[in-house]
Parts: sequence; C-alpha cells; structure tokens
Amino acid sequence: MAGELTPAAAGLHARQPKAIHSAFAVLEEVARCGPGVNAREISANLRMPRATAYRLLNLLVQEEYLVRLGDLSGFALGRKVAELAHLVAPARPSQAVRSIVTSVRAHLRGGVHLAGYAGSALHILDEDPDYRLSDAARLTRDLEVSAMGRLLLVETRRDAGATSGFVAETLARGFAVQTGGFDPARGCLAFPIRDGDGRLVAALSLCTASERVRHPGRLLDELRDGAERLAPLLS
Amino acid sequence: MDALARAIARPEPVEGLAIRSPLAGLARRSVGFADVLAQSVSAVAPAGAAFTTPLLVSAVAGGVSLPALAAALVIALLTASTINEFTRRMAATGSLYTFVARGLGTAAAFVAGVGLLIGYGFIAMFALAGSGYYLALFVTRLLPIAVDPTLLAAVAILVLGAVCFVVLARGIRLSTRVSLLVEALSVTLIGALIVAVIGANADRVTVLVEPDAAFDPGGFAVAATLAITAFVGFESSAALGVEAKRPFASIPRAISWTVLGSGLLYLAASAAQTIGFDVTGLDPATSSSPTNDLAAALGAPWAGFLLDVSIATSLFACTVASSTALVRVLFSMGREGLLPGAFGTAHPRFRTPFVASAVALPVVVAVPMITVFVTGGVWAAMTVLIIFAAAGYILAYTLACVAAPFFLHRIGELGVWSAVKAAAAAIALSGVVLVYLVEEGGGARGFGVWGFAALLAAGIAVYWIRMLRRPWLRHAIGVYDQAVAGDVLGGIPEAEWIDDLETVDDTDTEGRRGG
Repeated sequence: MAGELTPAAAGLHARQPKAIHSAFAVLEEVARCGPGVNAREISANLRMPRATAYRLLNLLVQEEYLVRLGDLSGFALGRKVAELAHLVAPARPSQAVRSIVTSVRAHLRGGVHLAGYAGSALHILDEDPDYRLSDAARLTRDLEVSAMGRLLLVETRRDAGATSGFVAETLARGFAVQTGGFDPARGCLAFPIRDGDGRLVAALSLCTASERVRHPGRLLDELRDGAERLAPLLS
Repeated sequence: MDALARAIARPEPVEGLAIRSPLAGLARRSVGFADVLAQSVSAVAPAGAAFTTPLLVSAVAGGVSLPALAAALVIALLTASTINEFTRRMAATGSLYTFVARGLGTAAAFVAGVGLLIGYGFIAMFALAGSGYYLALFVTRLLPIAVDPTLLAAVAILVLGAVCFVVLARGIRLSTRVSLLVEALSVTLIGALIVAVIGANADRVTVLVEPDAAFDPGGFAVAATLAITAFVGFESSAALGVEAKRPFASIPRAISWTVLGSGLLYLAASAAQTIGFDVTGLDPATSSSPTNDLAAALGAPWAGFLLDVSIATSLFACTVASSTALVRVLFSMGREGLLPGAFGTAHPRFRTPFVASAVALPVVVAVPMITVFVTGGVWAAMTVLIIFAAAGYILAYTLACVAAPFFLHRIGELGVWSAVKAAAAAIALSGVVLVYLVEEGGGARGFGVWGFAALLAAGIAVYWIRMLRRPWLRHAIGVYDQAVAGDVLGGIPEAEWIDDLETVDDTDTEGRRGG
C-alpha cells in the first residue's frame, strides 16, 4: 500500500505513519460499508478506540473527505475524496496488457479479470465489462473466498508448509480454484502471473459456471497462454 | 485502498439526499476563515471590553482581578469547546438555538432561542448606542456647535443604524470585511498601548503578584461573572454555518481562537492598568474616565483620543457582527415556520436574509434611541441594555452546554471527556447566571433583570402559542444545512450547484446551471 503512494504522501507517511494510516483506514471502511455507516460501527469494525475514531471522523469531515448524512449520525464519502484518486487508484494497465486480456476474453465465455498484487493487497486492474464482479468489496476483503485472493494467501503461506486445505491444493495444482464462494452456481479460476524472479505480481482469472470451473479442459490452456503472454508486460 | 479506489471510480449512488439545503438562498460556502474569525471577534468586541472589563472586575475583586479574569477565561474555553461539539458536526444559521433544538428538543429550544435573540439584539443595541455616543462626541469636538447632546447622540445612532443595515443587506462578505478591518485596527491600537505601558514600567510588574486585600470568595465569583460577560458573542460565527467555506473546520477554530485571543488581551490589559494605576497613584474607583486620566497621567493625552477612536470603531464592528448573527437566527426561525415565512426569504441578488434585516434593524435602532431619551443619557442607557444582553447570552450558553451530551448521545458519539467538559461548563455557567442576576437584581439597575425576565417569558409565550396553532412545528424546529447531493461522492451530479440559484421559491430553475 505504501509503495503505491506518491512521494509527497510518502513523506507524510514517514512522519506520521500511524495517524495517516488510520485516516485512510477510516476512509476505506466508509467506502466498504457504504453510505450511512455510523461512528460506532466504524470504531468496532476497525477495532479502533472510540475516542480516536470520533476524532479522525471529525477531522475527515472538517476536510470534507467525509460528509455527515441526514440526521448527522451516518457518514458518506465526500466529493473531495475523488481528489485522492491518483493516490489510491492503481494505474490503468497499458494498451498492450489490455489488448491481451481482450483477446483472452474473445476466446472464453465468462468473466475474464486481471488483478494485481501489492504487498498483502489485491487490486482489480482490468474488470471484464461484460461480466462485472458480483461483489468486488468482499473479493478484496475476504481473500480466502476468491480464487484471486487465495493465490495471494498461498504465496504468503507457502513457506509455512501447509499440508491441507486450499493452500496445499493450490500449491499442487499451480493455480487457484473457488466455487460457490459468491454465487452458489458459479466459481472462479485464477492463474498466477510471475515476474522474472518468480514473485507473484498479478493473476488472470475466469469466472464462470461451477461445472465449467470443476472441469475446465481447454479453458485452462487459454488462461495459461494469456498469463504467459502477460508476464513480461506486468513484471 | 481498494474499496476507496472503487468508490471513486464508480461511486455508489447515495439515496435520500436533497437537491438543495433547507437553508438555500444564502451565499452558501462563500466566506473564508478570515471572515468567520472576524464575525466572532467583532461580536466579542475585545478592544472595547479590554478597557471596561478589567476596571469593572478590579472594582469588585480588588487585588484578585487577574485570577478572576483567568477563571473566566477557563470557563469560556470550556464553554467554547462544548459548543464546538456542535459546530464540528452541524452547520446551521440558528447558532445555539438550533443546537439546543437538536439536543434537548422544542421547549428548551424556545428558551435558548429567545435568550439568544435577546443576547444578539441587545448587544447590538448596546454597541450601537456606544458608537453613537462616541460619534456624537467627535462631532462636538470638531464642530463646536450648540446642540443638545442627547439629541445629537440619537441622530448619530440613527445614522450608524442605517449604515449597519446597508452593510448587512449588501452581502455577508461586506459585513465581515468591514468588521475585520475595524476590529483589527482597534486591537492593534490597544495592543500597542498595553505594550507601551508595561514596557515603560517593567520594574513595577511585581505589583501584579502583591494582593492588597484578603481573598473574598463572594467578590471573586461576582468578578469572574462580570469577566465572563466580556467574552459573550464568541460563538456568533456559528450563525455563518451555511455561508462559511469548510464550516466544520473554520467555525470551531474561529470560536476557540476568539476566546483565547480575547482572554489573553484582557489579562494583558488588566496587568497594564494595574501597573498604570500603581505608577500614577490614581484610584480607578474615584476617576470619572479612568483610561483617559491614566493616559494623561502617563504623559500621553493623545493616547486617550486614540483609545476613544478604537473603542468607538470596535463598538460599531460589534453592532454589525451581532446584527449579522441576529438576522440569521431570525432567518432560521422563518424557514422553520416558527416566525412568519417572510423572515426566511433571502435577497435574490445579495443572498442575505433581507427581510429579517429590514425588520430587526429598525428595532435595534429604535430601542436604544428611546432608552436614551427615557434614561436621559447614553451611558445610563448602555448599562441597562448590557444586562439584557449578558443574561440572554449566558442562558443560551448554559442550555447549549446541557444539550451537547444529549446530542452526542443521540448520534452515538458521546465520549467521557466530552460529557465531563459539558457538565463542568454547564455547572459553572448556571452558577454564573445566578450570581449575575442576583447581583444586578439587587442593585440600582435591578429593573434590567426584571425586564429581562419579562421579555424572556413574553418571547417564550409567543412561540408557545404559535406552536399550539401549528403542531407540526414540533418536528420542524432546528433546521441545519444538510449535505446536498453535490457534496457527496455518488450524489446526483446535476444537482451540484442548484442551491446557488438566486431565489428560494423559484422552483423551475433547476438545471439552469446544472452539469
């Protein structure tokens, strides 16, 4: 997360790491919970002392990054938050990357998405415009539920030598699978994209009917081929 | 960061937002921090109070006037900090009236509203009478003509009242800029004189720590109470909630800075006066015009003239600032329906509460003129008017401090420190208002206290009757500037500038500037 900030914000980060981090955490929580979330819920969700949460919320209201709604107890993101776009939004992938993803989409029926990894966070870099993600907020929050999230978790836990569950399965398979996590009838396949040093940088995923996820057959070759072509452009 | 990034890229639509604020029509989000600060500072009029207050306080507190002033400063800071619990969360034009309505409900809001109207109204009258008095003084100095001084003062009050009305009607920026310029000038003059007196007698500062009388708790309480009246008005920038840019940042800051700044000025002025009287051997109790005598005895008679100028200009700024707040409280009540709807209309071009100004200003001019003729002198009139104002203000402050914890609890944000602070302020202020009323009620100006009580009761009765006829008002009291679609990420973009439109009742203008 810190690695993606601009130099100015990184300077702030260095001087006041905790406060800045907490302020962003509060903004992030309001974005996640949606308009109308109140101060108590935010302090409980973030396990932040109430006094700290109230102070941060009031500061963010002062700066107009947050707005109090209706009866003043609920919060929503203020219009000014859009000014943070360059800080928080991952850069748009290059034309070369997007055209490869588009060509993979042309061969596959289902949602083809490209996700990037930075530290322990997952970003959607290119969402399939024809098959939107069903719950993007949960996808980035509950990493264990999604195939793209599982790839990242496996990467961080592989040294622990897990022998069971999805970690072992994914390590054995070389790609991650999930069915019924978001929609009982659908599932997802995620193929890792690694840089020259073997570090996980991104994932190409296909979301489709559970039956096709369990028996991918030819689909797997298309995804693997796409991931291989993307690797040199993303690392 | 992902939820945030996604919210920015594809904002989730936020429902239930009004297209424009319930207080639309005023120049929303148009004045900066300097103007907001000017509003609070001018309503306090620290330049004027810096001379009168230490004299009044030392008259009752004797050697403990500095501690009494310091105690008043602490109480004022606690009160300001409690009022800021509201100003950080709610932008309103009704100031304390709206805050009390949101914390304690309709009945308490009536009491606070009438108290606040009396406070703003009578301080405006007091200041107008004072500036009229000084204007008349200058006219007689420059043109030595034989005119009845009372008549001249009355004419001066009328002229200054007319100027004040024009300033108020022409736009909030003009009001605050005039106040800022005038008040900055006065405070600079006073500050220079304080530094000159203390600097010239640096070897005598030890008199400040030599109490010459035994400590008297009763006298101390009265002195602290008198000192608190020198702070009243600091919250008046809360009435600019709609018009201030970034109101949740600028208004709390303006309120805190005003209290702290004027408190330090009073302490310095008190020190300078104590030293000055000690050096010259004058007795403030027997001197008819202590500051002028002091200036003359210190070898600077011109300083007395400068002081008069700065006090006069400060009083005029106070008139403008208090009237600015007064008409906005009336505007708020007009919007709610508590007063006739006309009070809630804004001028289409200047975007000011024009009707409220046109009704309030003649009253603000007429009352001091009548009082001057009845009491036979401007100074006597002023001492009566200030009792009404101080009692009204402190009553509204007390209710606001009681209301704060209830309000915070209702929105689920009550913390321990906020509750303790509010309780301390409310207890101290109720003590203050009792001491003040008992002290003044038993004195020569006792009819001022009874007059205040009668006016308060009459005002509450009028509101009560109006509400009995319009039961729906119970749910309409306490309007504040709610977030409109244009303020919220995911609000309706077309609505962004709707509330900038000229008139309130003009409903078919949507989209003229949209998009």
